[in-house]
Amino acid sequence: MTGIRLEHVTKRFKEEVAVDDVSLEIADREFLVILGPSGCGKTTTLRMIAGLEVQTSGHIYIGDMLVDDYEPRDRNIGMVFQSYALYPHMRVADNIAFGLKMRRTPKEEIRRRVHEVAVQLDIVETLGRRPAELSGGQRQRVALARAIVRDPEAFLLDEPLSNLDAKIRTSARIELKRIHQQLGGTFVFVTHDQVEAMTLADRLAIMNHGRLLQCDTPEQVLKHPVNQFVGSFVGSPELVIIEGAVESAGTTSMFVRGPVRLRVRGGSKSGPVTMGLRPWDISVGRTPAPDRIPAKVIGLERTGSSDQLFLELASPSGVPAFTVRALVKSYEFNVGESVTVELDASRALFFDGEGNRIDSMSVAPSPA
Amino acid sequence: MKTRRSRRAMRLLRRVATHATLIVACLFALFPVYFMVVTSFSRLPLESITAQVLFPKAGSLTLASYQSVLYHSSTPFATMLMNSLIYGGSAAVVGLLLAAFTGFALSKFNFPGRRTFIYFVLVISLFPSFVLILPFYLMFANLHLIDMYIGLIIPYSAGTIVFSGILVKNYMDSIPDDIEEAALVDGLTRTGAFFRVLLPLCLPILALAALLAFIGPYTDYALANVFLTSPNMRTLALGLFADYSQTNSVGSSVYGVVTAFGLLMSIPIFAVYILFQRYIISGLTLGAVTGK
Repeated sequence: MTGIRLEHVTKRFKEEVAVDDVSLEIADREFLVILGPSGCGKTTTLRMIAGLEVQTSGHIYIGDMLVDDYEPRDRNIGMVFQSYALYPHMRVADNIAFGLKMRRTPKEEIRRRVHEVAVQLDIVETLGRRPAELSGGQRQRVALARAIVRDPEAFLLDEPLSNLDAKIRTSARIELKRIHQQLGGTFVFVTHDQVEAMTLADRLAIMNHGRLLQCDTPEQVLKHPVNQFVGSFVGSPELVIIEGAVESAGTTSMFVRGPVRLRVRGGSKSGPVTMGLRPWDISVGRTPAPDRIPAKVIGLERTGSSDQLFLELASPSGVPAFTVRALVKSYEFNVGESVTVELDASRALFFDGEGNRIDSMSVAPSPA
Repeated sequence: MKTRRSRRAMRLLRRVATHATLIVACLFALFPVYFMVVTSFSRLPLESITAQVLFPKAGSLTLASYQSVLYHSSTPFATMLMNSLIYGGSAAVVGLLLAAFTGFALSKFNFPGRRTFIYFVLVISLFPSFVLILPFYLMFANLHLIDMYIGLIIPYSAGTIVFSGILVKNYMDSIPDDIEEAALVDGLTRTGAFFRVLLPLCLPILALAALLAFIGPYTDYALANVFLTSPNMRTLALGLFADYSQTNSVGSSVYGVVTAFGLLMSIPIFAVYILFQRYIISGLTLGAVTGK
């Protein structure tokens, strides 16, 4: 039994194409995160699954049922809105019970299930209060409870954590994952925060400008991004971009940019190529060595356990210098220091002029 | 130099000035009412406003004016009261419902011509209602609805849509769309969401709209005068003019009966206001909905 399936779904608002031919298959019980920058179409996609927007073309299936013509109330879904959308004039208990009341569930069962869900989400003490009296974190859990209590087939969450304080966000994230495991439902989660996405997702669906770019596990997306946009969007700190060119001499090809010269294989024999490297694959030391590039620390960002160093690589004369970023242990280096840099290019990514990934290209191992 | 003492003195001065101004304003507002009350119980003919008139001695008070009004009006006072209440009440109920639907449609639906319609409604509301009396009369005379309850209720109800519809629309605009959407996901139809979620959230503005819808028809003279011809259909506004508008210095003071009538007539309005007070004040501030 499949969870949710989108087949060539497109949504057009007058002239603008918000969602462009998106096909997605979400497995039953999967936690799928739709990730992308603002305006990429991820919320519109979610709303189409919910039935709050009707697609211009394409089909949507929820649990093998074709729901194109179904109203939101008949799609057996639960939804958590970014602003939580709690009913302000009702107490928390009534907010949670509302959906059940509309379906004429017997009062006793309503009371039992509301209490059950309240215990599960630790909001029992708020049941008699109004939404205005609750904290942001409590409201978020009430919104979640309202969705859970109806035991729907799928849960749709529209950036539910973005209105929370940073501190609460981490614990809310962990709790959400736990609830997903407990309930075993299909979760579709929309966000623009890639850290959130990476930690929560079973699989990640990355969108930009209405198109679905890549749908894979977080690990795969990190290691094998389909293009430069995905590579830059996912991964923290951000991918280091080095624009250079491939030069070939006989059977050897080299990727060249300033002081960076790497033997490569595969791909085209010459032309402009962009290399992407993760900051944690760039090591920084103090001892000079033939395969290490001298550099100067021109900037520093400390995040507690690690530092992001901004390094200006020394270039041969006439060539403008460029900067890379490296992730190192905190307190090891200071601004202004002269250091040496080595690029662990075994995991380097290469992109062509349009930003598409050149799969076949990789760094060749140095000759023994 | 601003010492702490002088700053405190300034604050005190400001508060005194504020209160003094507000008290004076209240006196201005309340004086007419006080005057009406005093005059309605007085037995003196009103030639000029003297201290004798304004601060009567207990012994010079009389209920004669009230007796005249209640027992000797050409149409029984109770009948007129009933008529006025019928018009005010039905206009309030029907007009309110129509205004609620109008506001809902204008606020939560996107249809072609929506903006044009809003401008059209606003322009219509600029016309002084007096201008409409002749067209209304001709229309309803042709329909043989003159001198009937329904004949007057229709224009009264329609009148509230214009103003209250926009009031409701503005209030609903401040209710986030996703509350309605949450209701749709929870299992309601669009209609259900309207009656069970949106409308309860609009109670403050609905109360204000109801009050406005009531007062207009209840106190209307112009349209009622043209539409109603038989004495037993008379409203209070008509009765006041019919019986007590002439100057008459015989017997109890003319102003006595006019003010007595006016005060009696305004009792239902006071009652409605007191009943709805809580809602009306919050409706007047038109605050955005709190809580997410």
